[in-house]
Amino acid sequence: MIRFENISLQTQDHLILNGVSFEIARGEKAIFFGPSGSGKTTILMCLIGGAVPTAGTVLFNEEPLTTRTLPHLRQTVAFIGQEPVLGAAGVREALMLPFSFRANRARTPSEEQIQEVLKNLLLPPDILDKQTTVISGGEKQRLAVARALLLGKTVFVLDEITSALDPQSRLAVLTFFRKPELTLISVSHDPEWMELGTHFFKVEKGQVTAQNTPPVFREIKV
Amino acid sequence: MQVMDMSWGALASIFCLLAIPVIILRIAGVPLLRQMFSATGRMTVQLVLVALYLEFIFRLNNFWVNSGWILTMIVIANLTITRNAGLQLRRMFTPLLAGLAVGTLPMVGFFVCLAIQPEPFYDARYLIPISGMVLGNCLRANVIALERFYSAIRADAKTFITYLSLGATLQEACRPYLRQALQASLVPTLSTMATMGLVSLPGMMTGQILGGSAPMTAIKYQIAVMLAIFCAGVITAFANIIFSLRAAFTPYGLLDQDIFSR
Repeated sequence: MIRFENISLQTQDHLILNGVSFEIARGEKAIFFGPSGSGKTTILMCLIGGAVPTAGTVLFNEEPLTTRTLPHLRQTVAFIGQEPVLGAAGVREALMLPFSFRANRARTPSEEQIQEVLKNLLLPPDILDKQTTVISGGEKQRLAVARALLLGKTVFVLDEITSALDPQSRLAVLTFFRKPELTLISVSHDPEWMELGTHFFKVEKGQVTAQNTPPVFREIKV
Repeated sequence: MQVMDMSWGALASIFCLLAIPVIILRIAGVPLLRQMFSATGRMTVQLVLVALYLEFIFRLNNFWVNSGWILTMIVIANLTITRNAGLQLRRMFTPLLAGLAVGTLPMVGFFVCLAIQPEPFYDARYLIPISGMVLGNCLRANVIALERFYSAIRADAKTFITYLSLGATLQEACRPYLRQALQASLVPTLSTMATMGLVSLPGMMTGQILGGSAPMTAIKYQIAVMLAIFCAGVITAFANIIFSLRAAFTPYGLLDQDIFSR
């Protein structure tokens, strides 16, 4: 489904990624871990077209990522960061934001669909009437997930999403992402999140130095 | 009504007034004396040269010379906007030139050809000062709009990529930033319009009255020119942002950091 072939990313004075190769199939739950500044987030960025490799090829469903295929990838893959961006003042407005874009207008969800998704993520119905400035970080994370679900996305690119969650939100998120039909490409140092993983990639100095070896806890450091 | 000219001697006596700010700045220890004399000197020399040039142009009153002069003003305005907005001239010159031309030329054309209707239509006495006023006011609006737009996207990179990853096109992802930039750029002109005549008498109107025009004639010109300035400001700010998108973003929809000069 997703394949990195010898990806490198060089800025003017720094080699951020150096020949990164890996493959992730549909339904797999991949976790990248390694020291801070090793290039984990840049790998995620290359995957969603948020950074452009200087060498190598990113393949999505066997098609190279180009300006032609990028819109399809961005409509299929959901990206959620450590501090999710909701992009609107009100919660309902934030949830409906992607449906104001032409590409998603036909998928505008019904009130029942919205309520069902909120329920699945243990979010109260009245959260829709709140402002995004007054809800917790955990609720924001779950709303970002809810928005991706309403868009029908099944591939999630996640950057340390459990790092600042309260126990209730953590449980809701972990339970949700266990679903076998979801594909995860994530960066995490959270031991509980590691239990979700089916594939592990250790990243050091811009390279994947170990694959499919679950980290021992002492390796999990930021 | 006879226009009362000012003698050069009278003008020179006005320079004596500068003694007052000199004394105040000295007492307050404000280190601006050199700048004050430099600015005063530059203003005098520049305006004398402009007067000489305008007298020459008015006498010549040639369509091509007038058009060339307006084009020169647009190019200089463009250079100033690009530099003050912190953008790279090499990347932004052409799209911003197009934006300025699209916004100012139709406004000036409408104002001169339909509102004033001089004979000939390219009469330098109307065409050049009005172009100067419209361009001069667009300058500030465009610096604010472009600076706000690009620096907001630069500072808000995560939000921007989130919009893209939620299926927004480049134009859709830019829309909130465009909205904020236009708002910020137009508020000063709107405030000026709202307080005009109450807080200050506008320069053009004052100039016309001093030049012998009836106040009612002067205000008609002032209202028309303010409307032209506002419309040109909206059009140029909008067009400059839209026209510059292709130069400023990579094919992946990411802001190219090389567009910034600082």
